[in-house]
Amino acid sequence: MAFTIKVKVNGEWKTADVEPEMTLLELLREQWGLTGTKLGCDEGDCGACTVLFDGKPVNSCLVLAVRADGHDVVTVEGLGTAERPHPLQSAFEQHGAVQCGFCAPGMLISAKALLDANPEPAEQEIREALAGNLCRCTGYTKIVEAVKSAGRAMRSSVK
Amino acid sequence: MKHFEYFSAHSAEEAVALLQKYSPDALPIAGGTELLVRMKQNLIHPKVLVDITHVPEFQGIALTEDGLRIGSLVTHAEVAASPLVRQYAPAVAAASGSVGAVQTRNLGTLGGNLVSCVPSIDSAPALLVLEAQAVVFGVNGRRQFPLTELFVGPRCSSLTPAELLEAVIIPRHNLGKPACFSKFGRRKALTIALVNAAACVETNPERTHFSQVRLALGAVAPTPIRAYTAEAYLAGKPVAQEVLLEAGRLAAEDAKPIDDFRASAEYRRHLIGVLTRRVIEGALAGMPKV
Ligand SMILES: Cc1cc2nc3c(=O)[nH]c(=O)nc-3n(C[C@H](O)[C@H](O)[C@H](O)COP(=O)(O)OP(=O)(O)OC[C@H]3O[C@@H](n4cnc5c(N)ncnc54)[C@H](O)[C@@H]3O)c2cc1C
Ligand code: FES
Ligand code: FES
Repeated sequence: MAFTIKVKVNGEWKTADVEPEMTLLELLREQWGLTGTKLGCDEGDCGACTVLFDGKPVNSCLVLAVRADGHDVVTVEGLGTAERPHPLQSAFEQHGAVQCGFCAPGMLISAKALLDANPEPAEQEIREALAGNLCRCTGYTKIVEAVKSAGRAMRSSVK
Repeated sequence: MKHFEYFSAHSAEEAVALLQKYSPDALPIAGGTELLVRMKQNLIHPKVLVDITHVPEFQGIALTEDGLRIGSLVTHAEVAASPLVRQYAPAVAAASGSVGAVQTRNLGTLGGNLVSCVPSIDSAPALLVLEAQAVVFGVNGRRQFPLTELFVGPRCSSLTPAELLEAVIIPRHNLGKPACFSKFGRRKALTIALVNAAACVETNPERTHFSQVRLALGAVAPTPIRAYTAEAYLAGKPVAQEVLLEAGRLAAEDAKPIDDFRASAEYRRHLIGVLTRRVIEGALAGMPKV
């Protein structure tokens, strides 16, 4: 039996009919065309599918879509646009924190959750917050630098 | 994933009734971080999932007359951040804080961790050394028993198919006792323990001798275990390196680790010794200054 669900995605309520075995990741990508969120391992290991669920980062490959009914989901599409990028997106670009880019949407979402909760994280806190996001290209150093720099930019813009 | 039917339960009675109605083809789902992975890997194919995340009785952390009660649905992130757990059972907070990554901890629950009965589960050792009780809800109501009795074998709990873990309770007399959790894996983050361990340590007032030590280990036997021989040895012994070394050796005998694809038995025996020292020293270091 399919379920009709209502989900607040990037600030807008959307409805969908979903089968119980559909994951939130499949719903986002296949029904709603929000392909920024990536399918990597499909088992909770890589973090490419990370979205904010009621403000907290989770692996959308491990959330049943029915579970999202009535909840708030933010994907990388909700962060910023090419014209108006989020400070994290600008920092990733400036620091060369994106190579193939496959991990970037998940990294950005995890980093956003961190900076929302902790505007001035120590390097170790950044590394812990991103431990569930694997990157095969960058070696992480530039990603960590980008998050630090975005934190500084966000702090100075609110002052 | 193969097709299944999905029900969301809004009370403990409703959850248990649904599980009983569809038994043996139904399983409860909490965070899903263990269950959905196994379903995707085609290891299990439940025909019915009963979502228990909206069952109010299984939520929340509270200090009660009996002790510190942690609902089975509390996530690892919530356990790790809880001021009550950090104050009264910091080793339990540390254990939950070591599970997977942020994403895993935001979904995965304490109850799902314990009931999965995987030998390496990180929440078990600290709860075992604090002598936690399990509260279980079933068709005949509630029952309570020592958490050790939940673990029967690898992926095998003592719950019947229509029983649910409601909460764990850390008894009042163990709240705030010096305890420490430590885990060793192949890398620092997002790692399954090769060995994990916890100790709860009491000494004489001068801190020169152990009066009572409880020690628990994971990933080294079919279930998480208490290292009773090592515990008995430590009672009354001086706080000294040789004593800790001997305790580690005895703990490895208690555990009887095996070779598997993650590590050899010999390496695990070595790790047991190292972690035994580490958690006892960690618990001692956490004691208020004399
Ligand atoms: C990437 C990744 C990393 C991980 N790292 C770790 C780690 O470092 N340490 C660790 O210990 N674990 C780890 N895990 C395993 C898992 O995340 C944890 O065991 C988690 O706590 C399981 O909880 P859950 O709520 O997601 O359980 P679920 O998947 O919902 O359920 C697990 C099992 O328990 C049953 N169940 C759940 N709740 C109850 C209940 N209240 N009563 C009765 N039965 C119940 C379910 O039917 C199922 O069989 C990891 C998993 C992933 C995907
Ligand atoms: S695709 Fe979800 S964690 Fe890898
Ligand atoms: S940039 Fe390629 S995986 Fe991270």
